[in-house]
Amino acid sequence: MENVFQARNKAKPLVYHLRDVVRDRASEGVTFRLRVPSLQISQGEKIALIGESGCGKSTLLDMLAFIAPPTNIGAFMFRPEIDNDSTDVARLWKKRHMNRLGDLRKRHMGYVMQTGGLLPYLTVRDNMSLSRSVMGLDASDTVETLARELGIARHLDKLPETLSVGERQRVAIGRALAHEPSIVIADEPTASVDPFAAEKIMSLFIGLAEERSITVVVASHAWRHIKRLGLRRLAHHTHRSQDGRTTETVVNG
Amino acid sequence: MRLFKTLRLASRDYGHEWRMSSCFILALAAVLGPMLVLFGLKFGIVGGMVEQLVENPENREIRPMSSGRFDAAWFDRMQQRRDVAFLVPRTRSIAATIELDSDKSTRIIRAELIPSGPGDPLLPAEAKLPIGMDQVVLSQAAAEKLAVMPGDTAMGSATRRYAGKKEREAIRLQVADIAPVAAFSREGVFADLRLVEAVEDFRDGRAVPALGWQGAPAPQDRSYPGFRLYAASIDQVATLKYDLTAQGIEVRTRAADIELVMSMDRNLTAIYWAIAIIGLIGFSLSLGASLWANVDRKRKELSVLRLVGFRTGDIVWFPVTQAFYTGLLGWALAAGIYYGAAYAINHMLAAQMPSGQLVCVLLPQHYGFALGLTVGAAMLAAALAGWRSARIEPSEGLREI
Repeated sequence: MENVFQARNKAKPLVYHLRDVVRDRASEGVTFRLRVPSLQISQGEKIALIGESGCGKSTLLDMLAFIAPPTNIGAFMFRPEIDNDSTDVARLWKKRHMNRLGDLRKRHMGYVMQTGGLLPYLTVRDNMSLSRSVMGLDASDTVETLARELGIARHLDKLPETLSVGERQRVAIGRALAHEPSIVIADEPTASVDPFAAEKIMSLFIGLAEERSITVVVASHAWRHIKRLGLRRLAHHTHRSQDGRTTETVVNG
Repeated sequence: MRLFKTLRLASRDYGHEWRMSSCFILALAAVLGPMLVLFGLKFGIVGGMVEQLVENPENREIRPMSSGRFDAAWFDRMQQRRDVAFLVPRTRSIAATIELDSDKSTRIIRAELIPSGPGDPLLPAEAKLPIGMDQVVLSQAAAEKLAVMPGDTAMGSATRRYAGKKEREAIRLQVADIAPVAAFSREGVFADLRLVEAVEDFRDGRAVPALGWQGAPAPQDRSYPGFRLYAASIDQVATLKYDLTAQGIEVRTRAADIELVMSMDRNLTAIYWAIAIIGLIGFSLSLGASLWANVDRKRKELSVLRLVGFRTGDIVWFPVTQAFYTGLLGWALAAGIYYGAAYAINHMLAAQMPSGQLVCVLLPQHYGFALGLTVGAAMLAAALAGWRSARIEPSEGLREI
């Protein structure tokens, strides 16, 4: 745990500050509960959330991306950049300001999904430009530069269906970075590619984020791949109640 | 700008998924097409019958069964009625004939004199009317036998036995127009009432000062044995008949024929609506279900759009745009199906129908109504489904599949 605390740069302001945030989800008679007693993520930090599927990684990511409402919030503050004021996310959820949350996400976040998430009817270039065009930014060279760095420049005018799964994930990473966000959230971005390619894609992704000093939160079930990329691993443990009706995961960090 | 972007994305998706889109369009047209044909048939057949019924003035005619005594006051009173479209006195039928001859023909014909005037339902609206004692409209049969055209002149004459000797008087008549066969099939002369009265007076041995015909002085109060009466519409025939009967005047109408067609119209309309409502329910369900299913199918993609920053309101436009295309193209295809079917039906049954009458007909406003209904219902269904899917947490949509 020592290195975790060293990795945290105390001088940098916090992007996320969560206290006593809970999300319950019921499925087939079992309640899955994710509890976050305290979580603080500073600007530029690279966070890894490692664990088996079903332990609540995605739930935490969804809450951090404002696409799933917490059931209970002690405090939930969000400050994407140093020159921004803190936003009280708890309040926005309570008032169901979905579009405000959406605007925050649009402006400051990129999201890489586990698979796909690319629109099948748009070319790679248009898929990557989507996050930019929604903000009214032109496609400019950013997309081409990114595509070159991700090794998919020759696919720019193809439709996603003609690409391999690994290439599609690179496009998804490109789209998450194209609008120059300050935070990128990735939910097992390499789970569906072979381990060799996975390692390559992951290091490419972390490298690109590093260059742009983007805060990264990535979920993965294979710590082995990411250990050496210098990410801070979030501590969490899962336990099941005796009657088997509740599964609770507690994340701290 | 964002709206435009949504519309563009929706259009590209629609085109990209052209196979799926075609299925939706086909499914829509498969239900709408036959409905249009069904309505076309109902409108064509029943509409045609009703139109014939309404247009044929014979159906609005009310004839007295026996002769009576109707004075000017009675005619005035009856003419005031709103349900009376045309009313003119008839003279005694035995006296209401005239002999005609012309320079162009050697034949002399005896024609019936029919009192006419402005608004005569038997004469086409654009026909010239016989005004004054020197103008007549000839029936087709009369005009053919006399070989005259509108503008020609014919000589009319009548004879009487007066003070023991046979007398004949003649009058020069201008042919104002020729009435169509449908108006009067025998030899007939549509004439101003004054001419008809003059001929009767002459026959009765009275003087006609206007024409310089000699005889006994005409009586002050004239009464007529009959009338030509037409109701304003076929619906009013029954009331008029009832009122006249109440006055002690026995009349004959074509009420039975009218009732037959009307009841046929009612029955066919009822059958049509029964089929149409079942069809419409099926149509709405199939359209709504397919659009709803389509939005569900697209939930993940819609969630992705939300993830990159499209707002709830923008998302709803996505399925609505696609529903608009489906509605529009499905309607166009259905109209095509209808057009083909109507052409075939009309072609097949042309021989059995009166000329110019079509079995299967739709007016432009029917097409417009079908378009509005289809596109409106489609967009509404899609908006509801889209709104529902925009309301769910984006994370739920993303995690599916």
